[in-house]
Amino acid sequence: MATEQESQQAIRDSGRSGPYVAAVRWMESLSETQFAYLLLTPALLLLLVIAVYPLVTTFGMSLFADAIAGSANLGEFVGLQNYVELLTNEKTYALPSAFVPTGLSTGALLSSALTVTLIFTLFSVFFETIIGFGQALVLDQDFRGRRWVRVAIIIPWAVPIVIQGMIFYLLFQPGIGFLVGTPENPALLNQLGVIGFTPLANTADSLLIITVADIWKTSAFMALLILAGLQSIDRSLYDVARVSGASPWQQFKMITLPLILPTVLVAMLFRTIAAMRVYGIIETTSSCQTVPSLSCLVVTSFNQRLYGTSATVAFVTAAIIGVVVSIYIVKFADAEGGAF
Amino acid sequence: MSSESRTDGGQTTTIEDRPLKRGPFSRWVENSIKNPQRVYRSMFYVVTVFFLLTTLFPFYWLVVLAVTPPRLLSGVGLYPPGFNPESFLIVFERVPFHWFMFNSFVLGIMTTVIVLVLASLAGYVFGRLRFPGKTPLMLAILAISYFPPAAFLLPLFELFTGNVGAVIGGVYIHSPDLFNTPWPMVLPFSALFMPLSIFILTTFYGQIPDGLEDAARVEGTTRLGALFRVIVPLSAPGVATAGVLTFISVYNEFFFSFLMNNGEAENWAPIVGGILGLQGQFDTPYHLMAAASVIGVLPVAILVIIAQEKIVSGLTAGALKE
Repeated sequence: MATEQESQQAIRDSGRSGPYVAAVRWMESLSETQFAYLLLTPALLLLLVIAVYPLVTTFGMSLFADAIAGSANLGEFVGLQNYVELLTNEKTYALPSAFVPTGLSTGALLSSALTVTLIFTLFSVFFETIIGFGQALVLDQDFRGRRWVRVAIIIPWAVPIVIQGMIFYLLFQPGIGFLVGTPENPALLNQLGVIGFTPLANTADSLLIITVADIWKTSAFMALLILAGLQSIDRSLYDVARVSGASPWQQFKMITLPLILPTVLVAMLFRTIAAMRVYGIIETTSSCQTVPSLSCLVVTSFNQRLYGTSATVAFVTAAIIGVVVSIYIVKFADAEGGAF
Repeated sequence: MSSESRTDGGQTTTIEDRPLKRGPFSRWVENSIKNPQRVYRSMFYVVTVFFLLTTLFPFYWLVVLAVTPPRLLSGVGLYPPGFNPESFLIVFERVPFHWFMFNSFVLGIMTTVIVLVLASLAGYVFGRLRFPGKTPLMLAILAISYFPPAAFLLPLFELFTGNVGAVIGGVYIHSPDLFNTPWPMVLPFSALFMPLSIFILTTFYGQIPDGLEDAARVEGTTRLGALFRVIVPLSAPGVATAGVLTFISVYNEFFFSFLMNNGEAENWAPIVGGILGLQGQFDTPYHLMAAASVIGVLPVAILVIIAQEKIVSGLTAGALKE
């Protein structure tokens, strides 16, 4: 408090006047809470206009039917009917792809936005965790050239999504490279039956390629978070283990794994949220018609001027992400309680 | 350690009686049993080389395709069948790729400046002030970054194309038509990437001792002056970290970069527009797409090499803070 009086004194002493001094004097006279909210105003204003307002509006739009004809964007008010129709697949006739699977066959699962997104999320996060863990263990060692190995591992994370998509498009587009052959001259992956001869136009193959692309790009993110966790482990624990004759594997199982688990769960949470929004890599490598993820469905229905439906899908996507986040938070609280 | 070598010493004497019958493999196995450290070491090298190959091969593939002459572009193997570095020049003639790059840089820098100013103010508030509603506000800001960009798309599109209006003082006022200017991208980028910077800066600003700020205030500095003349310079590494991460995130973004412009360089489309523009051409110039991708990766690759420490610390601080 003393400092505030002193600086007011200083302003008076300077003998200046005008709007600047008036503004400064007004700012100095605010209480701490008022000052805090004043400084937060620009950030909150931006979030309000760019995030909160669109979310609320999206929800509002989802309560209206799609416009059938004319210049209006939306039809009449229908309440929650869009949600009901979407979740019971009554809307599928109008949509580029189904929302929930129509059956349990592979074809049905791969043509539904919900299951495609969940399959992608499950596999990419699972393998990213394992590979990221491996990379983190490598980077945790002391060896010559570690700096450059770390650069090599981080660079895929920094690659723009459109270029990541282009890389995998150029790897798997038939006719360019050695990964995809022709029926007369099949490549190794064709012979093994992993992918067909036009993998980027086939849902199962494209989903596999997009999952691999995502693993390639974002394992590094996982690795960096896990590495930070590894380096915060108290080294003396390992000394104790070595003295008592524990092998490196035992040290890993008894010390590293339990201590690192909370970090891994947080990293998995971040990756899950990001994976559920997958869009750019699909649009660049394959197409939204081939691999209909949730974000894809929002954009394709938006492009067909099905605004009510598009808003419904967008809001359901946000809700699903919200559910996944809460599951993790509950599990995370459990793991933390169990580990300590 | 010492107990191991003693028991091993007992075994080796029996084996050394017939050393000639052992091939290189069983010799290696025996060495490994004697010295498990060595197995772990060689496993480590195998795994490291595997990671290096898998992360770097896709880049190598881009370079191979970029230098392959267009007429040889089919069934390309592990090395280029010819050498034609011209692609790196032709790509600038086919599409104005330098303009797309320039747009990406401008969008990145504009967003970074906005994010750093707003996140500095917010980070100062969260890191150094005590006030009611602090924790709920921080959680709310974090929650916003959970939402998929798709959930913001429709209203933002309407807003930026001038289709949202309100009656203010009896006059109907449209939102300005900002489509095909940088703003429909810069504003969503700023909102999307600001939460991470706020968390990074909250950590850094919170660590500066109160005494330094008090001293500045006694000297007669205003509250804001203390923030920008004392706190921000002292946390320069944190500010640089937040800046680098924001720039890379904008450069890499796809969703709004793709949907919030018409894909033309003169309408502020970033590299997404340039590369997809090549993909959409009738003769599908694979070598040019590869060349454009190599050029597009270079800025971030250089940034990663220069600022890797900052990236690592920023990502981990931002994510583990919470």
